[in-house]
Amino acid sequence: MMKRFLCCSAIALLGVGEVQAESLKVALVETLSGSQASTGLLYRTGVNYEISKINAAGGFRGEPVELAEYDNQGGPIGAADRVRAAIADGARVILQGSSSAVAGQVSEDVRKYNLRNKGSEVAYINMGGEALALTGDKCHFYAVRTSPNAAIRFQILTKGMKELGLLGDKVYSINQNYSWGIDVQNIIKEQAEAVGYTVVGETLHDVNKIQDFSPYVAQIQQSDADTVLTGNWSNDLLLLMKSVADAKLNVRFGTAFLDQPGNIGNAGAVAEGHILAGVFNPELNPASSALAEDYKAATGHYPVYVESTAIFGMQLFGAALKSLDKGNGDVSAKDIILAIEATTIQTPTGEMSMRAEDHQVELPMIIQEVSKDAAFKVDGSEYGFKPLKAYSAADSRDLVQASCQMKRPE
Amino acid sequence: MEQIMFSLLNGVIYGLLLFMVSAGLTLIFGMMGVLNFAHASFYMVGAYLAYTLQPLTGFWLAIVIAPLLVATLGVFVERFILRRVHAFGHAHELLVTFGLAVVIAEVIKILYGNFPVDYRVPSSLNFSAFSLGGMEYPFYRLLMGGVALVMFIALYLLLTRTRVGIVVRAAIHRPRMVEALGHNVPIVFMSIFGMGAGLAGLAGAIAGAFYTTNPNMALELGIVVFVVVVVGGLGSMEGAMLASLLIGVMTSLAVSVNASLADLLDTFGQGEWAREVGGVMTLQLSSLAATLPFFLMLLILLTRPSGLMGEKE
Repeated sequence: MMKRFLCCSAIALLGVGEVQAESLKVALVETLSGSQASTGLLYRTGVNYEISKINAAGGFRGEPVELAEYDNQGGPIGAADRVRAAIADGARVILQGSSSAVAGQVSEDVRKYNLRNKGSEVAYINMGGEALALTGDKCHFYAVRTSPNAAIRFQILTKGMKELGLLGDKVYSINQNYSWGIDVQNIIKEQAEAVGYTVVGETLHDVNKIQDFSPYVAQIQQSDADTVLTGNWSNDLLLLMKSVADAKLNVRFGTAFLDQPGNIGNAGAVAEGHILAGVFNPELNPASSALAEDYKAATGHYPVYVESTAIFGMQLFGAALKSLDKGNGDVSAKDIILAIEATTIQTPTGEMSMRAEDHQVELPMIIQEVSKDAAFKVDGSEYGFKPLKAYSAADSRDLVQASCQMKRPE
Repeated sequence: MEQIMFSLLNGVIYGLLLFMVSAGLTLIFGMMGVLNFAHASFYMVGAYLAYTLQPLTGFWLAIVIAPLLVATLGVFVERFILRRVHAFGHAHELLVTFGLAVVIAEVIKILYGNFPVDYRVPSSLNFSAFSLGGMEYPFYRLLMGGVALVMFIALYLLLTRTRVGIVVRAAIHRPRMVEALGHNVPIVFMSIFGMGAGLAGLAGAIAGAFYTTNPNMALELGIVVFVVVVVGGLGSMEGAMLASLLIGVMTSLAVSVNASLADLLDTFGQGEWAREVGGVMTLQLSSLAATLPFFLMLLILLTRPSGLMGEKE
């Protein structure tokens, strides 16, 4: 009898103390298996690196940030299911990056969940779905994009290549036939007049289904283009590039995702001189080299492809959390989003901040060239990416899309 | 004109590559009566083995040894895996090959990583054969086409002109009777399976250097190869050849057709209306090029379910 009383009073005593916050739960809903897992695994590495930094610096409100991983298996259906599971497990923030198709699903699911569950909203940080609609007519308050988008990438790519004298007069646009590729094609056409080039041909093709690009190369040859601009990624970029080289066409590529691992190693000399518009380059300045070295010490390799986007996105998230660190109890998704809007961080490449109107990040972009002179070689080849010109966030930002009508919570 | 010649040549050579992989698949189907889901995996294994061997043996020896190793793997798979589940019926065999494809893909990822490896056409072969309309035609493409042609002729002669071929064809048709006549049917099946795997491996070893060698290559090619086998007629070697060429040429030519349904309706004066409707109406044929084989398969299944050259069931 006495014993029981003791136990219960002990519990009662515990309850009297200050309201202890539960640790903040963050869910990474990524493609961790299946044919597109290679990209999802890179996001995971980048996110883990940055979250462990946040936790090493004391976590959030005295507790470590809890990161849980969910495998969306590469498709919207898997993602919808995993988002539900993540929310059920108590996730307040959802992170996702690879594929605009998946990003669209996650964003919509989060929007609907928040409509139905006032007071327990969740936030979605899109680290890499770059289709314009995600900050256009699909934009909503609880979704933020921490990567560039089709407009930022290709406005700065065309402008940068022109200023560096690397853009020819005749441009061929070849892209994948889905939201991202169509956006890229539209931007390339829109930019033609302002930058000063002619689009001599345009192609949309099936996504990662084509083995043999030679018929497409024949089209490029016939158009007499001297520059090929493409948002293609993975096999669609590598095979296209090799096919163009096999036909001995003398064209320069302007790309968004040439730095995907394996591309340069496989293409070799074929890729030399091609251009990439990316968010990071380790050779840019001492600070970026230091980041690259630190990343290598933690993960075993320099940041490549989407890893740098993931790192910067998580740095912004981490800085926003820091500004909320003083508070008590559980933090709401609304507070997190407002904090992200109010935060500006200094990355090794420059200033980066979230635009409140449509939740598109504004960040510096770097035009870089595949070259033997690069200080950081990739894929164990003799080539790397040499930074040619860096554009600040103010120079590379896109216009807010009129289609974004964001309803802000009271 | 040159443009069309170029497209035709491209299409034929891509078709020949498809044939190299689908030949083995259709042979194995004829024999076992089951589609081998792991077949395209042998194509991938061939490419990775050739990539691994190349630094040690040089390119030529690598593309000879790699298919032999893949054939050995095929024999092993037939003898120790498929033969065991054969007694439980087709569904089990199908599931086993499906599982095998997944296992092979994961093993490749563990051993070689998630990204394409740098398996490339050796520089001694990287020259252009001829020039057509201002475009250089790579010699290696002709080499791929040539190997596929030689393979087709050799297979055809083997199956129709030799005693071994007679036994094989008989074993496919009436295994019990052939066994009763004193032939060792399990060994015949095992060798066919090994040979089919080896041919896919050869295709992989050669094409992997030209396209890319990555862990998804089996998946990417596998689907098209199934379409080829279904269109050509399950079990028919000539059908596989015909369907491969048909699909290769069709996709290649379609790329240069920038026409949509709306353009077609222009001839009836309804083009304007169609463009306003948008959607399917303004979809250009060229953007559907890689989807056309599937339309063809649908059409064939609706009108001639046994395939172009398949035997009526």
